[in-house]
Amino acid sequence: MKGWTAHLRAFVAAGAMGVSALMASSAASAVEIKIGYMKHPIQEASIAIMEKWAAKNGVTIIKIPMAYEIFMEKVTATLTSGGDQYDIIWHNDDWGQLWKNWLTPTNDVPGMDTVLKQTVDVAFLNTDGKPTVVPMAHTFGVFYYRTDLIDEAHLPKTWDELSTISQKLQQEEKVKWGFVGSMAMNHSWFSWFWANWTNNCDVLAPAYERDNKVLAANGWKPMIADKCSQQVVEYWWDAINKTKISPPAMISYTRNDANAIFQAGDAAFTVADLTLYGQFNDPKKSKVAGKINIGFLPLGPSRTEPVAWNDIWGWAIPKGVPAERKEAAKKMLGAMLLDKEGQIDLWKATGGPPPNTEVWKTLAETDPLFRRADEVVFKVMKVIAGGYYTPEWPAIHKAYNDGVVGALNGSREDIPKKLEAAAPAIHAAAARTN
Amino acid sequence: MLALIAPAAVTMALFQVVPIILGANASFRDWTLYDPKKTWVGLKHYIEVITDPAFFGLAIPNTLLFLVLSVSLSLTFGLGLALLLNRSFVGQSVVRTIVLLPLMVAPVIASIMMRWMFNDQFGIVNVVLEGVGLPPVAWLAYRWTTMMVIVLADVWLWTPWFAVLLLAGLQSLPKEPFEAAAIDAAGPWRVFRSLTLPMLRPVIVVCVVIRSIDAFRVFDQVWVISGGGPARTTEMFSIYAYVEAFQRMNFGKGSAAALVGGAVIVVFGLVLYRLLNRAVEVSK
Repeated sequence: MKGWTAHLRAFVAAGAMGVSALMASSAASAVEIKIGYMKHPIQEASIAIMEKWAAKNGVTIIKIPMAYEIFMEKVTATLTSGGDQYDIIWHNDDWGQLWKNWLTPTNDVPGMDTVLKQTVDVAFLNTDGKPTVVPMAHTFGVFYYRTDLIDEAHLPKTWDELSTISQKLQQEEKVKWGFVGSMAMNHSWFSWFWANWTNNCDVLAPAYERDNKVLAANGWKPMIADKCSQQVVEYWWDAINKTKISPPAMISYTRNDANAIFQAGDAAFTVADLTLYGQFNDPKKSKVAGKINIGFLPLGPSRTEPVAWNDIWGWAIPKGVPAERKEAAKKMLGAMLLDKEGQIDLWKATGGPPPNTEVWKTLAETDPLFRRADEVVFKVMKVIAGGYYTPEWPAIHKAYNDGVVGALNGSREDIPKKLEAAAPAIHAAAARTN
Repeated sequence: MLALIAPAAVTMALFQVVPIILGANASFRDWTLYDPKKTWVGLKHYIEVITDPAFFGLAIPNTLLFLVLSVSLSLTFGLGLALLLNRSFVGQSVVRTIVLLPLMVAPVIASIMMRWMFNDQFGIVNVVLEGVGLPPVAWLAYRWTTMMVIVLADVWLWTPWFAVLLLAGLQSLPKEPFEAAAIDAAGPWRVFRSLTLPMLRPVIVVCVVIRSIDAFRVFDQVWVISGGGPARTTEMFSIYAYVEAFQRMNFGKGSAAALVGGAVIVVFGLVLYRLLNRAVEVSK
């Protein structure tokens, strides 16, 4: 009996030593990478590419999802307090200018030479001129139309055609509304901004300029009271009140409201993010599944050449991350950029054009939607970045949106006066840029 | 005694006093969330807030209007419900439970629900309007209809709170005056006006003061339903402070706005309490 217990003790001791040795060795080699992100198909798909690499290289990924509404505020507070709560964070051009001094340069991440340089340079360079982002996908709005209502040859090329074609479809009772898009604050891209850009217009002068030095040299001049901007507001006023191609409550729509109407089959046209193509084409979620395509943005009276916009979403590494994890994060992001199969999967799963431009050639040869996106966005000569890259952009955007919504929500005759009155608030916000 | 109150005092100090001191400190500094220099700027942020026409000319008046409408309507409906529930009828406990349901719904959920109910394309309200031959309304496109939806959401959420407290007050009233009134053949309206309401006033005063202070800092309903729009026309004090601190990232100015708003509600609460208290004294 004594011998049996001694054997048992020896066996347990040996087992315990073995387990602890195994744990110690795995603890020594295991690297944990914490990713702070928003639950969105694009980000999930990009993380899925990283997970493939992580599994092969003994890296554990810990995903920390956050709501969009609090993401920027929470991560900003973490970055400025020097905490290492995240090793990789979602990075967006909207706040590229806010975080530039808190992030690790990414110029040495493998594969950065394969991305579209201008989409990185416009918003993500630090004070030394080095990039602080690794792109995960391109995000931009496109003009969606219903293929069961109109064929490509007859797509509206101008705002006027958008109105007349919409009215025709409405009169024939084929659809309830012609165009639907969001107008409320933080959803300006899908009505106000694209209409500005297609009319040689913008929030600040000169139109389409995103270099803060040039904008400052021009005195941070708002364009809201210019004729081109007045035409934009008058067009939407007519769309709601006169031609009635858009719903009266469009003034209050978020992108979710507008997308719901398009998905319900109640509108012929919309402008929405290309990454929504999958959702619009999902029969479980959309009545227009299989009946949509994308085209050029219709042009306003002041412009004759097509225009498009192109931004990226990306990943970044906070400066405070310890060296070992920083190195692993860079390797993993590099692997994500160079995983061509993974990038094609990302495109197929989400409709988000992948960041590696070498993949574009393959996609353009094999995928009709990508070919179309290539035509209506990537090959367009005038491509605009969606925001302004100053820390004051949220204040500029809010002042602009308040101005145009306020002007739209009144009589047509008062539009110029109201736009004139809104200009000082935009200038004041923009001029605070250092 | 000190040991008994110490845990509560420490908790209050940590979660109420310290954040207020930190906020107050930030309000005197150049403190943006993305670049917190924290340099002393004195009263700069306070002057900006006080001289901003959107603060005392729009946000505070909107907040006070919302407060008056929401509190008075919730009180009226809550009192009505309390009077109904104070009677004996079959299924009384079931009705009481149903009346309490809104209290169990988070304000954000109720507001999302309300936003979709008043959606011009899919909302049930326009379906009903069209069903009875009326044209649909773009509820959230105009200032006053949007304000109405916000007030309605708040009234729906808070009426049960008034009902529960006033019902407890009603049930604690002495029976003798009501029996005497019944012997004198006083009608229901006379009983309500001359007995119920005067005796219930202390409860009403406490409810109104507490609820008014709470209504002043309304956020969820406004943020979800209108975001303060269209074009800031339904912006309240809390939205003003939030946008400054967390959208424009100006933590200093946002804190200053919050403290100025706090001062306004302290003054408003004191005045309200004195007025209502005097009304109670007069009625005794």
